[in-house]
Amino acid sequence: MDAVDVSEHYEVTSIDSPPSLLSIVIDTNPRAWAALDSRLSLAQAISNILVFVNAHLAFSNTNQVAVIAAHVNRAVWLYPTAQKPAAAKDNSGDVQMQDVSAETNNSSSPSANKYPQFAQIESSVFSSIQSLMAETTIQDLDQVTTQLSGALTLALCRINKASQALSSSDTTLSNAAPVNSTAPPPVKGRIVVISVSDSEPSQYIPTMNAVFAAAHNQVAIDTIALAGDSTFLQQACFNTNGIFLKASNPQGLLTYLMFGLIPDTEARESIITPTHDTVDFRTACFCHGKVVDTGFVCSVCLSIFCEPPENAECLTCGTVLALGNYGAKPAVVPRKKKKKKKIVNGSGREETGSATGTPKP
Amino acid sequence: MPRAIRGVLIECDPSIKSIIVNIDSVNHDFIIEDLDEERVVVKENMVQLLKQKLEDRLKENLPPVDESGSE
Amino acid sequence: MSNNPSLHLAEYLERLPGTTFKKLYQQPSTAFAIFRRMLPHLAKTFVMRMLFMPHPMTLNDLDVWVKPEAKRKKDQSLSILRGLHIVQISAPSKEKPQEIQLMSNFKRSLRLALTGGGNHNSFGVPSSLLIPPEIDLPFLDRYARKKWEDVLHFVVSSVGYKSVGDGSGPNKGVKELLIAGRLVDRRPNGGLGITQAGFTFLLQEANAQVWTLLLLWLDVLGNNKGSGLDPVDMLSFLFMLASLELGRAYDTNALTEERRNMLPSLVDFGLIYIPQHKRSMFFPTRLATTLTSGGNSLRTISEGVTAATQSAQTSQQSLGPLGGGGGEQQAGSVVIETNYRLYAYTQSALQIAVLALFAKLNMRFPDMVAGRLSRASIRQAINFGITADQIISYLAAHAHEQMHRTAALTNKPVLPPTVVDQIRLWQLENERMKTTSGFLFRDFTDDKDYLDTARFSEEIGVLVWRNDHARMFFANKHEQIKDFLKTRKRAE
Repeated sequence: MDAVDVSEHYEVTSIDSPPSLLSIVIDTNPRAWAALDSRLSLAQAISNILVFVNAHLAFSNTNQVAVIAAHVNRAVWLYPTAQKPAAAKDNSGDVQMQDVSAETNNSSSPSANKYPQFAQIESSVFSSIQSLMAETTIQDLDQVTTQLSGALTLALCRINKASQALSSSDTTLSNAAPVNSTAPPPVKGRIVVISVSDSEPSQYIPTMNAVFAAAHNQVAIDTIALAGDSTFLQQACFNTNGIFLKASNPQGLLTYLMFGLIPDTEARESIITPTHDTVDFRTACFCHGKVVDTGFVCSVCLSIFCEPPENAECLTCGTVLALGNYGAKPAVVPRKKKKKKKIVNGSGREETGSATGTPKP
Repeated sequence: MPRAIRGVLIECDPSIKSIIVNIDSVNHDFIIEDLDEERVVVKENMVQLLKQKLEDRLKENLPPVDESGSE
Repeated sequence: MSNNPSLHLAEYLERLPGTTFKKLYQQPSTAFAIFRRMLPHLAKTFVMRMLFMPHPMTLNDLDVWVKPEAKRKKDQSLSILRGLHIVQISAPSKEKPQEIQLMSNFKRSLRLALTGGGNHNSFGVPSSLLIPPEIDLPFLDRYARKKWEDVLHFVVSSVGYKSVGDGSGPNKGVKELLIAGRLVDRRPNGGLGITQAGFTFLLQEANAQVWTLLLLWLDVLGNNKGSGLDPVDMLSFLFMLASLELGRAYDTNALTEERRNMLPSLVDFGLIYIPQHKRSMFFPTRLATTLTSGGNSLRTISEGVTAATQSAQTSQQSLGPLGGGGGEQQAGSVVIETNYRLYAYTQSALQIAVLALFAKLNMRFPDMVAGRLSRASIRQAINFGITADQIISYLAAHAHEQMHRTAALTNKPVLPPTVVDQIRLWQLENERMKTTSGFLFRDFTDDKDYLDTARFSEEIGVLVWRNDHARMFFANKHEQIKDFLKTRKRAE
C-alpha cells in the first residue's frame, strides 16, 4: 500500500522553520566614519541598521538578533549587553532594588507606537554605542583598521550557544547525542558585516580561522563594504556562500540592506543573490602579515611565507624544510647534432632514444 | 464559455472505483463525471452517503474481526 | 452565522473583501501581525524587499530575482500575497508590462511598525498605575491555563466521559459560543454532545485552538448586529493584543468603547486578566501574546529560546520563563511502546479524557494511566471524525522526554514506526478513497483556451488533475480561475 509506505511519515516534526539568529558586526572605526560623515553619518547608519534588524525580527517571533561593534582594538557587544555585575550585596535587598530601578529607567514610558521589543533593542544599541565612543581615546584614532576577527568570533560563539540551548532543551543528553554535521542546525545563523575600513593584514589568520569555522557550521557571512578595501571579507563571503556588496552610494545603506541582504539562508535557496565577480584571493604571509601574490608553502601544514623562514624551519609546525632546487637555472647542454638516417621503408622520422618506437594513435 | 462544476474528486483503486460505479448504477444520483480508471467526480452532498454504502459493501467481504483482547 | 464556520485564520481572511483589508491595514500592529503569521517565508522576503521601493516594479523583474527551480514557490507566494490584498498587480495589457507594488495602506503601516512613530497607538497604551505585586508571570500563566482548561474540559466532558475536574465550567457566554459554533451540540435527551468539529478542535495544537475559538467568536458576535461589535475592529484588536508585552499592564481607558465591550469575552477565554479592584488596567496573558507565533510557540521552542536569551537580557520582559507550573500541559508525558501499550504520566483529567478518545485505558494510578491502542479504539476514534494524523501528531507533541532521549541516542524517530504505520493502516481500512473537493472545468471551446487556463491553474498551484485529450481539469479553488477567465474574455 503506497499510501502508508512513505518513510517521511515516520518523523513527525514541527512544521515551523527553525529560528534564525542574525548577528550584525558593525565596523566602528572612528576615523573611517569621520571620513564618511558627509555622506552617511554613524547615527543615520545605526538607524538604518536598526530598521533592518526590526525587519529580521518581524519575520518570526523566534528570530533573534545580536549586534557587535568591531572597534579599533577590541570587539564590544552592543546588544544584548552583558549583564551588569551584581553590586556588592550588603543587604539582601540591595541588589534587587538596583534591578528594579534599572528596569523602570529603561522602560519608564514605553511608547504605544513602537513594538516593545524593537524599542528595547534600539535603546540598548544607542546607549552602548555612546558609551563605546565616549571611551575611545586619542591613540585609538590613529588606527585605520578594526578587530574584525574578534567580532566574528564573538558572533560565532553566540550562534553556537543558541544552537546548543535549543537542541539541549529537547534532550538532556546533549553530550551523548551523536554530532551529525549534515543535519540542519537547530538555529540558522547568519553574520552581516558592515565594513568601512581596510583589512588588516596581520589579522589574516584569525579572520580566516573564523571564516572556516563559520563555513563548517553553515553560517553565512554577508558583507556590505561602504568604504575601504576589504579583501579578506570578499574571501569570507565566497567561502561561506554569503553575499558581498560594495556600496557605491553609502546614503542608500537602507536600500542595500533591505534589498540585498534581507534574504536569509532559507530564502537563498529560492532567490538569486548578488555576487561579486572578482574575488581577491590573495593571502597574507604568516611571518609578517604582508599580502603576497607568490610565496613559499610548507608541505606539511600549508602555512604561507613570503621568504624562506630562518633555519628552514616552518613557523607553525616546526618541520625542517628543504628548499630544493629553487632558483636554480636549468643548465643548458649543447645539443648533439643527430645525423638523420634515411630509412628506406618507413616514415622519415627521427630516431628516438628508446628501442621501441612511439605508438601510433 | 467553459463551465465549472462543483464536485468532489475521488481517487481510488480501480476495484473500488468499479464498486462506486456499481453503487451509482442504481439511481445515477452520485456520479457527475467518470474521469478515468481511478477517478470519478461525485456530487458534493452525496459523498458521505457514498462512503457509507462503500463501507457496507466492503464489510460484506471482510473476514470476521477477531479481537483477542489478550494482554 | 455561516454554515461552515471557518476554523482557520487563513480561510477566514481569504473571504474578506478588499475594503475590509484596507481598513485593517490602517493599524501597524495588524499589518505586522498578518505579515508574521500568514505569509510563507519567500513571500515575507518579497514584501521586505519591496517595502522601501518608491516605485512599482515589473513582474519580469520579480521573475529575475527568483531561481528557476523555485518558480512554483514564487507563484504560490504571489497568489497568497494577492489573496491577502498586500500587493496589487496591474492587469496584463499590451502597452505596459505587468507591474507589482505593495498596497499603500499596508506599506505605510508596515514601515511604521518597523521604524516606530506615528500616533496610532496601535501597540497598546501602557497603564501608569502600579502593578499589584501578586500579579506576576506565573500568576498570569496559571490564570490563563485554568480558564483554557475549563473550556477544554467542557468540550471533552460532553463526550460522555466523567471528568474529575471542578464543577465550575466556563462562563455561560463561552458555553453558548461553543454551541453556536457547533463544537458541541444539544442532543435530543437534553444533554450536550461533541461534534466532529469539536474533536478536531480538541486535538489541535494550543495555538490553533485559541484561533479556532476566536474565529468562532468573531463569526457569531461580529455578524450579530445586536451586539454592536464590528468584526474588523475585533480582528484588529486581537492583532493589537498579539503585540503586547507579557507582564505589563495596559490602560483600559485608552481603548475605544467598542473595544472595552470586547474585554469581558476575552476575559472569559483567558486571554486577558483584569484585576477585581483595579478595573482600569488589563494584563495580556501568554495566550494573547503568542497569537501571532507559529504553532509550537507555546511549547519547547520558546523554552529553548528563553533559556538561551534569558542570561543575556537584563530585563525580564517579553520572554519570561514558562513558569514551574508550565510542566503539566507543556512537557510531554505519554510513552508508547512497540507493542501498542500506552502509558501517560499525568494527572490532568483533560489529558486523560483526550487519550480515552482513541485509546482503551484500562488502568489508573495516582500519577499514571495505562492502556493500549487497538484496532477497535482507533476505529472508534475515526468514526468520531478524528484522523490518524491528528492522533499521531498529538502523540508526538505529548511524547515523554524519555522517548525523545532514546530517539536522539539511537538516531531513530520518536514514535515507533510500527505503531505510526498501523494507526494509518487502521484509518485506511475505512478510507479506500481519497477525496478532494473543488471544481471540474470542462466544455472549453478550443484547445488554446483550455491549455492556457490549465497552465494558469497549475502555476498558482490549484490544479489537481487534467486530461488534455478530453479538455477537462479539476482544481481545488475556483475564484482565481474565474477572474482569469473573465480578464481573458475582456481582453478579446
